[in-house]
Amino acid sequence: MNRWTTHLCWLIAALLSAVAAGRLSAAEIEFLSGKKVQGTVLSKDETSVKVQTDVGGKSVTLTYPLKTIHSVTINGKRHVINERTEEGGGKATVARGKNAASAGPDGAPRTPAEIQALIAQAGRQPPEWFKDTPLNFPKTLDLSWPDSKPGAWDNQKNVGQWIWDIVNPNPNRWRDGVRLMHHLLTVHKDNVENRNHVMAELGRMYFELLEDYPRAAFWYQQAGIGKGSEFERTKNGAHLAECYWRLGSRSMAVDLLKRMPVTYEAIKLWGDLGETKKCVELATQQIPHARFPSNCYLMIGDAYRIAGDYPKAAAAYQKALKEAEKPEHVREEKLRIRAQAALEALKLSEGIDLAKIEDGTYTGSSLGYEGQLRVEVRVDDHRITSVRVTQHKEKQFYSSLEDTPRKIIARQGIRGVDGTSGATITSEAIINATAKALVGRQ
Amino acid sequence: MRLDIFLPFLRKPKKGTPPPIELPIYRAAKAVLPQPLFADRATARPGLFRKWLKRLGPSWLSAPVRRISQTACFLLFLWLLFYVCYPYHARPAREWRSFSPVAIDASGLVTVDCPTTSAADDELRGGVVHVSDESAADEAGRYVGPFEIVSFGREQLLLKPTADVPPERIEELHFALGGPWTLSEQPPGAWPSHYADSLARKEFIHAESLLIIDPLVAISTAIAARTWVWSLAFAGGILLAAVFVPRGFCGYICPLGSLIDLFDWAIGRRVTRFRVADDGWWVHIKYYLLTAVLLCSMMGVLVSGYVAAIPVITRGFVFLADPFQVAAARGWHNVPPLNAGHFVSIALFFAVLGLGFLKPRFWCKYVCPSGAVFSVGNLLRATERKVESSCIHCNKCVEICPFDAIKPDFTTRGTDCTFCQTCGGVCPVHAIKFVERWNRVELKVENDPPTHETRLGRRGFVSLLAGSAAAVVGAAGMSAATRTFGARLGDAARPLPIRPPGSVPEREFLELCIRCGECFKACPNNVLQPLGFQQGLEGLWTPAVHADWAGCESSCNACTQVCPTGAIRAIPLEEKKVARIGLAIVDQATCLPHAGREACQLCVDECNAAGYRAIEFIRVGTEVDELGLPIEGSGFVAPLVRDDLCVGCGLCQTRCYGINVAEKGLLNRSAIVVEAGEGKEDRLMSGSYLALREAEKKAREKASESSGAADSDYLPDFLK
Repeated sequence: MNRWTTHLCWLIAALLSAVAAGRLSAAEIEFLSGKKVQGTVLSKDETSVKVQTDVGGKSVTLTYPLKTIHSVTINGKRHVINERTEEGGGKATVARGKNAASAGPDGAPRTPAEIQALIAQAGRQPPEWFKDTPLNFPKTLDLSWPDSKPGAWDNQKNVGQWIWDIVNPNPNRWRDGVRLMHHLLTVHKDNVENRNHVMAELGRMYFELLEDYPRAAFWYQQAGIGKGSEFERTKNGAHLAECYWRLGSRSMAVDLLKRMPVTYEAIKLWGDLGETKKCVELATQQIPHARFPSNCYLMIGDAYRIAGDYPKAAAAYQKALKEAEKPEHVREEKLRIRAQAALEALKLSEGIDLAKIEDGTYTGSSLGYEGQLRVEVRVDDHRITSVRVTQHKEKQFYSSLEDTPRKIIARQGIRGVDGTSGATITSEAIINATAKALVGRQ
Repeated sequence: MRLDIFLPFLRKPKKGTPPPIELPIYRAAKAVLPQPLFADRATARPGLFRKWLKRLGPSWLSAPVRRISQTACFLLFLWLLFYVCYPYHARPAREWRSFSPVAIDASGLVTVDCPTTSAADDELRGGVVHVSDESAADEAGRYVGPFEIVSFGREQLLLKPTADVPPERIEELHFALGGPWTLSEQPPGAWPSHYADSLARKEFIHAESLLIIDPLVAISTAIAARTWVWSLAFAGGILLAAVFVPRGFCGYICPLGSLIDLFDWAIGRRVTRFRVADDGWWVHIKYYLLTAVLLCSMMGVLVSGYVAAIPVITRGFVFLADPFQVAAARGWHNVPPLNAGHFVSIALFFAVLGLGFLKPRFWCKYVCPSGAVFSVGNLLRATERKVESSCIHCNKCVEICPFDAIKPDFTTRGTDCTFCQTCGGVCPVHAIKFVERWNRVELKVENDPPTHETRLGRRGFVSLLAGSAAAVVGAAGMSAATRTFGARLGDAARPLPIRPPGSVPEREFLELCIRCGECFKACPNNVLQPLGFQQGLEGLWTPAVHADWAGCESSCNACTQVCPTGAIRAIPLEEKKVARIGLAIVDQATCLPHAGREACQLCVDECNAAGYRAIEFIRVGTEVDELGLPIEGSGFVAPLVRDDLCVGCGLCQTRCYGINVAEKGLLNRSAIVVEAGEGKEDRLMSGSYLALREAEKKAREKASESSGAADSDYLPDFLK
């Protein structure tokens, strides 16, 4: 069954059941031509739908052929009947955020004109949390930022440093931070340079923190990003391009990104867009003068992984790990951890190939809640026959010590084994230890 | 009115003497049960019951009801302590993942495919589950609602939305089922309550039942803290019962007495070299001990927990037997280390049992102050053991009496008799009867043989003076010593112990806590451990949170439910989870990210996992480039404790200690430490902690409202 028919069946089922339930919801129908109609769906059949709507104060019943309808929105959920044809797809393969409104409710491609319209429309409306979020910031903050003098680092005085130190790391503070930034926009409304700075920061906050791409794009545009603004020299240019991509136009993103300075974020975006060669080329150019070359190798690895080229990805991650272990970088433990995690994630995502493991007993250990936890895995005839926790220091483990091994044996692997609730850290340690025991044997 | 429940001595009845009285229950049993079980009174042939009882022992033969009652109460005590208080029956609310909804019909019934090879097929068997859609875009859209499992199987489930699922949600399901689905026993984000629920389920008899009926516990704590304690009501109840069954607690109920009986039978009777004579200076110790304890209470020093019967046995079992129960069930690494206080308590416990070498039940007869309370109460008794003139002076009753309650003239020492009726069953002439106190029918002649006892008891006036003096001096000395080497609460330099959630203020806590050990037993992971002498003599055996060992479980309120005196108020879980027991303080010199050593967020993750979310991040050590702009990725994110959200549970300290100190050796002590004290904890004698939090929140909001800045619009003027 093709997609069109599937959607049709769902719609029929929904409408029939809605009719059967005696409750018909207010629906908004969007046509392929762009026209919109609000009404109540009365009935539906294979080719058309009957809608009751208000025209000029009078209630009329109209019949529309299904093939002219683009989408139907019921209760805020939008269901596409007919796709609009458009160049390229806009689906994000790298899951960076979970905000559906930003990636388009259906991930469908949009024309540049549509995107600009969406940006203009969404950007002018406050988000629904706005009115419920009061202004909340320390009284010691100097609201003359970005005019305030630099001086020593003081995150209770300097707004930018407050955002950097306190707001950025804490999700529960993000809305307060954005609200403060809007307030600053009013404070600096007469100073063009300051207000552009504030709007660029607003764009960054909507993009990085709230993942609200239409509004991020709106404020970036207001700050002049893409039109030669000084704030393009940081990551903001790449961020705006990513907004266009997530909102549904890859071509718009590429056009902008070509004109933006080469920053870490820009290179990463090339990789996410699927321009593997360009990403690898730019990243390799950065290696000689990068502060942390390991990061460049990580980007290359990510790009290859997105492209599906696992051997090259693994090779790049290995290089990243080697860089991170060099003496001059050994204090930056985060780099090494990231490289190691990337490698392990790659290995584990490929799964364990039992066909390649000889019969025997393998041990692995991993950090549990209170200390190291050791697991003994027995493989017979290319099947996991037993998983036993032989050593542990856990205190609060409920049934995970029997539960998780049982699940691992049932699934003959670690893919999809979920933790015992209340003892997640212990379960994960068992899973990791099992993976370490087996993965190294391939 | 005859209250005889003993089994009368079996002998051929003399011609002319009336047969022993048969209780109606005996007659009823004889009518229903087979004949060979019962004795033939005419021929004095014992039945099977008597034969079996004789095997158990002479006291079983003569007073089986009392022995059965003792056994039942002892088993109840063990069951309450080792089953009800055992915390590890709790299981967290379960959830099952990766279910794929495949179809929904007109009535809203959803067909769901089970994930391949999942354990769920055994566990999902009807009832209501909460459905969450894993593919939902945001947290708000994730929860679908509660569904009823209409039918279950290995491959598929049928789920029906309950009335609590909003109709719009069901309509949306018609359009897009979403999935994969997670099914859970509780709605997502619900505060876990499995430990609290598990205890509540098991506690249809309260775990502290035996403790609250010990009258010395109630009286001494009420006097010491100058406040009403609920156990006074129960103590009153048992004392009222004691009017009709004088000192019946000691004879029929007290588990310490039963334990002493067991010890005496198994070990005590084999060692005879320490035996003392029947009479001696020690016979009234219990009254002087009681006086001393009550005097100390009046001076605000609670020492009754050291010597009251039920606290002694509870603490003894908790310190001695609990480690073995936990070790057997969960491993020795779960048993916390012992301190000096443990050893003192264990020594005291063995001393109490060891008194059995002097005489069987020496403790009960002469030392136990709880028994002394009943003895004093016996002055108001309505019933009494009386001996008739048919007594032949054979001395059998004196030899068997467990409480030394029979005088040399074979009449009763009213203050000591516990109505156990063991003597009644051994009297060969059935001369002993248990009747109302004012019964004067056919009584034996008193003082024949002579008892040498005065109205003041066996030892007379001088002994009374000496004993009283000793009691007063002892009490004064004990109080002075405890206060001098005590908690010294006024001393600011002394770190305060972290008390269990819902504890009353410290001075009252020390006066109410009976040091029984129930809270240690009920506490999962042994977060609460007895203090040794860290808080001086006053803090001995009181509970304190040992955060290096474990943190206070967010789903548990066991200690509040099992405390017999109300030193830990009995608050529900909703109150307990906002009651502060301390404040976590980060040592910025040693905390790994603060000190710039390495990234670490164990405490933050732990606090979030527990549900309190009281530790935020702050970025430290940010480096700036030549333009003064911060460099991405420089510095570390470090923990910052929100003092309006932290309750002091100690889970953060446990994790930091467990990993950074014990496992990796990066630190010598935990970098985040919970501290108690003024402003860091909530200690209320009464009232709601939730109300306290609300009031604080309002005060804070009021203060921040005056931050001066007027509210502004989303869109600035120049864009409108």
